[in-house]
Formats: sequence, structure tokens, C-alpha cells
Amino acid sequence: MREEDAFKKQFDWDLTKRILVYLKPYFWVAVGGVGLSFLIAVASQTFPRLLKTAIDQYLAPAAGSSFIGLSVDARLQGVFTIALFILGVASLEFVARYAFQFTLSWLGQNVLFDVRADLFSKLQRLPLAYFDKNPVGRLITRVTSDVDAINQFITNGLLTLITSVFVVTAVLFNMFSLNWQLALIATATVPILFFSARYFQTKFRDSYRDLRIKQAIVNTSLNENITGMGTVQLFNREARNRRDFNNLNSSFLRANLTTVHWFSFYFPVVGIISSMALALVIWYGGGQALQNIITIGTLVAFTRYVGNFWQPLQDLSDVINNLQAAMASSERIFGILDEPESVADKPDAKIFETGFKGDVEFKDVWFSYKAVGEEVLPTDWVLRGINFRVKPGESVAFVGATGAGKTSVISLISRFYDVQKGQVLVDGTDVRDLAQRNLRKHVGVVLQDVFLFAGTIESNLRMNDPEIPIERIVQACKYVGVHDFIASLPNGYQTEVRERGATLSTGQKQLLAFARALIQNPDILLVLDEATANVDTESELQIQDALAKVMHGRTSIIIAHRLSTIKNCNRIIVMRKGKIVEEGSHDELLEKGGYYNTLYRLQYADQEMTV
Amino acid sequence: MQNEFFGIGKYLLAHRRQWFWGIFFVLVSVGASLAGPPLIVGRAVDALRAGTATTGLIVQYALLILLTALISSAATFMMRRFLVVASRQISYEVRRDIFENLTRQDQNYFHNNRTGDLMNRLTGDLNTVQEMLGFGISQGSSTFLTMIISLGLMFALSPTLGLVTLCVFPVIASILFFVIKTIGKRHVAVQEQASVISAKAQENFSGIRVVKGYAIEDREIAEYKTMNLEYRRRVIRLAMIEGPLWAFVGLLMNFVFIAVLLIGSRQLITSDANARFAGLTIGQFVQFTTYLFNLQWPMLAVGVMASLIQRGASSWQRLQQILEVQPAIRDSDRTDNSIQSVAGNIRFENLSLSADERTLLNNINLFIPKGQTLGITGRTGAGKTLLASLVGRMQDPSSGRVLVDGHDVRDIPVSILRGNIGYVPQEPFLFSDTIAENIAFGLNESTQVEHANKPDFETIKWAANVAGLAKDVEDFPAQYNTMLGERGVTLSGGQRQRTALARAVARKPEILILDDSMSAVDTETESRILNELKTVLEDRTVLLIGHRVSTLRYADQIIVLENGRIFEQGTHDELLALGGVYAEMERKQGLENVLEVDEEPSSTVLKAEVN
Repeated sequence: MREEDAFKKQFDWDLTKRILVYLKPYFWVAVGGVGLSFLIAVASQTFPRLLKTAIDQYLAPAAGSSFIGLSVDARLQGVFTIALFILGVASLEFVARYAFQFTLSWLGQNVLFDVRADLFSKLQRLPLAYFDKNPVGRLITRVTSDVDAINQFITNGLLTLITSVFVVTAVLFNMFSLNWQLALIATATVPILFFSARYFQTKFRDSYRDLRIKQAIVNTSLNENITGMGTVQLFNREARNRRDFNNLNSSFLRANLTTVHWFSFYFPVVGIISSMALALVIWYGGGQALQNIITIGTLVAFTRYVGNFWQPLQDLSDVINNLQAAMASSERIFGILDEPESVADKPDAKIFETGFKGDVEFKDVWFSYKAVGEEVLPTDWVLRGINFRVKPGESVAFVGATGAGKTSVISLISRFYDVQKGQVLVDGTDVRDLAQRNLRKHVGVVLQDVFLFAGTIESNLRMNDPEIPIERIVQACKYVGVHDFIASLPNGYQTEVRERGATLSTGQKQLLAFARALIQNPDILLVLDEATANVDTESELQIQDALAKVMHGRTSIIIAHRLSTIKNCNRIIVMRKGKIVEEGSHDELLEKGGYYNTLYRLQYADQEMTV
Repeated sequence: MQNEFFGIGKYLLAHRRQWFWGIFFVLVSVGASLAGPPLIVGRAVDALRAGTATTGLIVQYALLILLTALISSAATFMMRRFLVVASRQISYEVRRDIFENLTRQDQNYFHNNRTGDLMNRLTGDLNTVQEMLGFGISQGSSTFLTMIISLGLMFALSPTLGLVTLCVFPVIASILFFVIKTIGKRHVAVQEQASVISAKAQENFSGIRVVKGYAIEDREIAEYKTMNLEYRRRVIRLAMIEGPLWAFVGLLMNFVFIAVLLIGSRQLITSDANARFAGLTIGQFVQFTTYLFNLQWPMLAVGVMASLIQRGASSWQRLQQILEVQPAIRDSDRTDNSIQSVAGNIRFENLSLSADERTLLNNINLFIPKGQTLGITGRTGAGKTLLASLVGRMQDPSSGRVLVDGHDVRDIPVSILRGNIGYVPQEPFLFSDTIAENIAFGLNESTQVEHANKPDFETIKWAANVAGLAKDVEDFPAQYNTMLGERGVTLSGGQRQRTALARAVARKPEILILDDSMSAVDTETESRILNELKTVLEDRTVLLIGHRVSTLRYADQIIVLENGRIFEQGTHDELLALGGVYAEMERKQGLENVLEVDEEPSSTVLKAEVN
């Protein structure tokens, strides 16, 4: 279970170093942050000293001190000066804290931003095969909560560590400089605190781990029961599943109570230890004050100081846990960043500035969805030695049963995947020698279900190319016959696409897909033309018409499910189980009475009647 | 507020003892910690100042500090034991009750409420409520009591200084109120932008094929970057006011301190410093400033509490919706509890079902006598599954009736009805449990098996055998104890269907519904299973939904559904003779068989074609 793994990860110095690399661009800001943190530590620990001065010099000067003789006005004047000092230090502390918090957020956000940008850009470069293997939900977790864990690592982990160290140091410095004997006494309980904090932290960690596991189990069971409630009810299992769930729920409660148990011990224990320190200060300090070795002000200052370093000490003992928590996340993030870009451009990748003539050739292509270099079992092959050539301007229909390998052929022309054996050539050049972006810019893919991005209809048709004049977009839409529909929308081409086009009909979406492809003016057109259900006859005719228009005059490779499309093509290639079994025109193939003939009778004969 | 919390009262009331004692101990703890150390330190300072201190007295004071610390710590411990434990228990109870209510809901509910949403409520929202009850009540009461007691003690020490402090309170409170409100707004803005970013990532990852196909990676990266820049801006805007909140409260309290110092010192200095009468002693002054210092956290906590309660209330509302929802399908007044068995005669009478103004089933009239098999076929969405789901009352019809043994199914106790139905869905839901447990899923409590060697193991084995699953199971190392699901083996589609079949058969139901339940099993295996099933099906009423003529032909009668109507009806031979949809199905499946069979010759064709 994933939940459990997250806790197994130990603190890892190499990972930490890699995270720190992200701080490098902001080195001086980070140094400034550390400086501010130092300033805060110094300023905040000045107050007890100022109080001491106020008490010893003006409020309650000791009998033997030189301040005893001061007039009332002079004493009031002195207090006023100290008040001014306090105002100054308080303002300074506030400004420093403000600046520190701001720096902290700024740093954290910039690191977060950089990690996210790196991660997202990296994902854009990863091959399609990576997305086949990794569900969208998982990838989103990477760019959201995992990235956030790195931010937490830096802000809550590292800087808490630094801040706590500064504060503890400042407290110790002040105490020891005031009176080192009393300081020793006051800090006598520190080891006890530290060790008990460590003890409790282990208990917390263990009980939290158990809690998270139990919670995961409860959630899994909930999820399962909610999803399968229909089954539960049909089999009259409500009562039993309630009981089973209750057992899990109870053990979750028990785990919860265990953590409550440790926490309810922890705070009182820390409270007692800190009061012990105070008691020691009163006992020893009081004794010394009796003998006039220390002043009352010093004693009061000490009562403040002993209260000031418990929190940073607790934070310190907790900081390793915080750092550890980020380890699993950062490891997953770096895992993505280290993922090999298996379908990458060669350094000297060719660019066809003006596009292609449109010559496509497959030379003995063997392909499987296994990564190149991985062992391929005989059953893994999707394409088994494919040979064909499509001349510029020619249109070819691929037909065959589901799983015959037609879609793979299309994916390979755009180089979404690399072949294991053989070559895919465009204009005589192996696609692996071409710049991918350049290749894809000139290869138009029309998928059966048009994917609409959040944005306007126009931005969805334009697809990133600001240079396309709106006239061409309108022209293309008129050409495929979707203009009237778009014009009828409230904002025309500027209408926002909602819920990925859920409000559009299947036919409208198809036409948009054709328009989109046409606007790009591709040299090679790849169409995945699934027979679309729920399309009325009129739209059907419109789609067929649009497809014919888009195909006109350019190399077109169509995975055809419409008989009309097939008939429109110059040639038909029949695929079966990863191989090409027949080739020729519709009539030739029918004549032959082979596989296509059977396929025709099974899949397309019905359409003969309707078209 | 009243309304929002309606319903939680029941849970709170059940734990009233814990709340009472919990708050009592908060009082003890706060009282002891406020009246203890600050007062004692003050007394010690005064004694030292006045020269009345002795070593014995000092030791006494130190011990007193320890004693009050012990009392306060013990009370804190008890407080957590009562309050935090109560919050965890309530969370457990709410989870239990929600689960219980969910098991009562009908399919419509789960159709309208997605699993993800329900899960979110049961995890996130429940956690927020738990937080509100646990942390909220314990911290809230201690904050409140700390403020009241501190102020009371401060007034007792010096009414003037108390008044000064009290005057500043409304100022601080209103500033905090304003700041916290702004923080809330900015927080929402950050959350919104985070959603935008997630949505973008989701869109990009799901549409990666299009992104790559149109080579718009750069646009995507740029858009994502812009969104992240905006996010960064919003977080930093939030950090600008949220980050220094603590420091800000500190600054304000320092202002109060300065005022107290200036006014207090005047009292102190002008009324002869050593005087025991009139004005303030130095010890009292120290005591006063300690209280002032202790007020910092409560000031801030008020804001934290307010937002905690706000979030808790809206979370509770979402939970309450699940707690209160009533299912449409359940035993009611009309349920005839005298019906204790079901024989299996099914009659559909003028049955119609519509949803969202669409007619899904239209005037179905049909009689299936006990022991007969009805074959149901038709296109996807024709209403086959719906028709079958009405028998087990997974839904109720909009008009007309479903009669079982002459009783309207709505009169039969749901558990009796479902107890006599074995349902095998096309995509069965199996539970993460052993195979044996999954098969025994619908068996009665008494016959339920815990381990494979119990007597009822025979039933399981028999069912597995009948369903054609036994061989597969025997190949697993742990056999019937093999775990399924995430933590165990992943079954193939066919194995899952056969497990579901075994699960239904094991119940030996009077009515068996096979809803396209062997779609993932190849034809050969299917006919073998059917052969095995024959004896089981013989004296049971069977609804057999399917697409394969080879399976349907054995049914006593067959109906073809189209758009929710019975389109064709008759025996296999009658329907073939009719020459309609069913006959066409038979013809196509015959062709498909031909395609399956001429496997080998294709390779020779290939060679001839390609070379």
C-alpha cells in the first residue's frame, strides 16, 4: 500500500542536496533570510534584559547600587528611555519578522514555481508511452502535493531548523552572560527535555504511521463499499458489511486514541520539565539574590528566559521528522525528472522549414508498446513487418478489425512511439532523424473525439499559432460547414468552450476537428474516423463531405469506418493481426473475395443501403 | 449557526459527561497555571525586595511552583483524555452512522453522488469536524478561560493597569478581525488558483496526444507558467498579511506592555518603592507583565477558533446531508411481511421507466414462468440491464408493475426478494478479499466460511466448478485463499465474470440474472460453462442478457429490445424465421466465426501480397 511506503523513506542526504540546488538561484535571498532570522533571535531575547535593566536601575534598585539615590523624576525618565528602547526593539523585531516571513514565502513559492515548471516541461517532453503507463491522477499528485512537500521541506524544515538554533543560542548567550552559574542550573533540565521529546517523537511517529495505515484501510474499505454498494445490496450483505466496516472503523478509532494517549502525556510532561527549570531558577537564583550575588532584575530575566527556549527545542527535535516527510515526495519528483526521454530529438535533427511533400513509407516495421530495448515477447508485437508507401497527394484507407494495428500505424507516423525494427520514413527521411515538433507541425491528426481545451472556440481552432489570420479560420470553418453553427453561438468564435465541449453535439465536434486540422494546413493528414454513433443523417453527410474536402490534395491516411470514406480513397490497405493482408481498390478487393470481402459484409454492407 | 449545527447535537449530548469533565479540567489547568507560577515568582521577588525572604521561604516557593505545575499538568492530561478522546469518538460514530445510512441508499443515490465526492466528505469534511470538536473545544475553552482569569487577576493586581489592558483589547480584536477576514478572502483566492492549475494539468495530461500532435507543448508550458505566476502572486499576497500575524500580535502586545510599564512604573516609583500599602509592588508588576505576555496566544487563538468553527460548520452540513438522506427503495407500510419465500414466476405488467424526461423502458408486458429462461438481447442502451434491475428492485418502475409470484415486488420485503436472486453483472464488482470469501459473499451468515476447510467449502468449490472457475483457482498458489484486488492477484476480465457467476450460483437462488455475464469469456469456454450450468439453470427462472446467438438459442423465449420496447419476441427458431434483427445478428456472428477460423492462410497471403 502506498501509504505505508511513504513512511519507510528515511532521511537521505543526496536527495536533500538535490533539493537544495533549487535554492541556488536565490542564494542571496536565502542568506538574507538567515540574517533576518538571526536578527529576530537577537531582538526577541533582548526584552528580558531590558526588563532587568528597568527593574534594577529604576523600578527596584538594590540597596547598594548606584541607582538607589536617583530622584523620582530621574527614575521616571529612565523608565521612559527604556520604554523607548523596547519600542525600538519591538518595532525592529516586527519588521524583521515580517521581512523574514515574507522572504520565507517568497523563497518557498519560487522554489515551488521552479520545481513545477521543471516538472511540467519535463512531462511535455516525455514520450506518449509514459502517459500510457501513468494514470493522470498520479501525475497530478506529482505536480501538486508532491511539489508542495518540497516547499514545506525548505520553509518548514530547513528554516525552522536554522531559526530554532538561533533562538536557542540567543537564549543561552543571554543567560550565560548574565550569570553563568544560574544559567547552568536553569539549563540542567534541558537534557531531560531533549530526551523525553525524542522519546515522544518516536512514539508519535509510530502511532501516526499506524494511524495513517488504519485510515488508509478504512478509506479503501469505504471506497470499495461505496463503489460496490449495488452488489452489497443485491446479496443482502448490508448488515455484515456494516459489521466488517465497523471493525475497521473501531481499529482506526483505537489508533486515533493511541496518538491522543501519547499527546496527552507529552504536553504535561514538557510542562512539568519546564516548571522544574523555573523552580530551580527560583530556588538557586532566589538564594543568590538573598546574598546579593545577583539582582532581582537578573532573577526576573531568568524566569523569562527559561520559558523562552522550550518551544524552539521542541521544534528542533521535530525537524528531522518534517524533513523525512518530504523525502518520499522529492524522490518521486526526481524520479520523473530523471525519466529518460526515450523519444528525443537527435542533436542534428533535421527541420523541414517549408513542410513536406508528403511521401510516407514504412519499411519492414516491427512495433510493440514495450519500450525500445526491452525484451519483446512474440505476443507483444502489434505490427509485424509492415511495408507500404503512400505517395504525395495519395489517400489510403486502412481497414481491419479492432486490434489489427491501424492506430499504431498512425501513431508511428507522428513518431509518438519509436519502432523496434525497420523504419518509418517521411519524404525519405527516417522520422527519428527529424525534429519532432517540426514533423508534427506538418502532420495533422484528426482524432475521433476532438479534444477541446479550456478557452474560446477560436483558440481551439488556432492551436497556438497567433499568426493565423482570423479570415483563414473563418474560411476553413465555412469550408467544412461549421461556420454557421459557430456564428449562431452568443459570442461566435469567442464563445468559451465549457466542460471540454460537453454542450456540443458529436457531429459539431467532428466538424470542429476537421476545421482545426484544415487551419494547420498539414502536408500529411492522419484521420481516425470511427463510425460515430448518435449522429443524424444530415450531420453524417456533412461530416463525410467535410472529410472529403479536408483530404483533397494532400497525403491522407485514414483509419476508415465509413464506407463512403473508404471508397473516396485511392487505395485500401487491409490489416489483420499486425500484418498487411490485402491491398487494392474497393472494387478490386471485393472482387477478390478475400478478407476484405468478409469484412465488408460484416461492417460496411449496412451502410451501402443508407448512403 | 443554529441550523448548521443541527444534528451534531445528538452526538455532543451523548458525550456530555466528557465535555463537562473536560471543561472542568481546562478550568483547573488554566487556573493553576495562572494563579501558580506568576503569583509565586511575584511573591518571591517582593520578599527578596523587602528583605523578608529566607532560604526556607525560597525553597517553599520553588516547591510551590512545582506543585502548581503538577496540578496544571495533571489537569491538562485529563482534559485531553476527555475532550480530544470525545472528538475522536464522535468522528468514529459519525463515520459509522454514515456508512450505515449509505448501505440503505438505492442505486439512484450512488448514481447522483460520485464516489469521489462521498469519499471527500467522509475524509476531509469529517476531519474538519473532528478538528473543530477536539482542538476547537479544548483550545477554545482554554483560550476563553485564560483571557477571563488573566484579566480578572490583572484587575485584582491593579485596576488602572487592568483598565489600560482592557482598553487595548477592542482595538486589537477589531484589527485582528479585519486582518483575519482579509486573510480568509486571500486564502480563497489562492485555493481558486490552485484549482485552476490542477485543472490545467489534468487537461494537459489527458489531452497529451493532441498537445504533442499539434506540437503545442510550448504554448502549454507558457500557459501553465502564467497560471503558476498568478498563483505565486496570490500566495505572496496572502503571506504579506498572514505570515506576520503572530509578529503583529506580538507588536501590539508590546505596545500594551510599554503602556503598562510607563503607567505602572509611575505607580511603583511614586508610591515609595518599598511600601506594602497603596499602589503596586515590584513583584506584582512582574506578575502583571507575565499575564500580559501569556495573553499573546489567546489573542491570536480567537481568530483561529473563528475560522475553525466556520469551516467545521460547512463541513458538518455536507456530512449531515449524507446522514439524513432517505432511500426511495426500502421496506415501507405496504411491505407484506408474510411473504417469506419466492418461487420465481416473473411478470412485467405495462412496465415503463423514464428518467430525465427520457423513456428508457416503454410498456413492457412479459411473463416468465418459474424454471424458464428468458433471453434478452438488443443494442447498447436498449434497456436490457434496466429491465433486469427492476426484478431485484435496484430501481422501481415509473409506471406498471413487476410481479414475482403474483406479488408486486414493492410488497415483498426487500431482503426476501433479493435473497432469492442471483445477479451476475457484465462488469462484476469483486471485493478485496479471498476468492473463497468472494464466492461465499451471498451465503447466509450461518453458512459463511471463515477458512477453506470448513464444511461449506464444498458449496464454494461446487459453485466455482459450475462457473468454470475451479481450474483457474487451482492454479493459484493459495488456491481459494488467494487475495483479490490491489493487495492480491488481478483477475482477467473472464475470471472476474466467472467469479461473479460462482458467487451468484453459490446462493442457489430461485431467480438468476446473467447480465451479459460472459462477454469477456471466449465462445468455447462459454458453451462449456453453459453446459455445466444446465443442471443449475433447469429449475430456476433465468434472465439471460447477451449478444451471442450461440448462447441465446437455448432460452425458452427470446426478446429483442430496441429503444426500451420489445421489438421481437419468440423462440430462437421463430425469430430466425422472422428474418429481423435477431436473424441479422445470427448471420453476422456466422461471418465472424469465419474470420476467426481462416487464421493460418493469411500468412501465405501476406507473403504473396507484399513481395
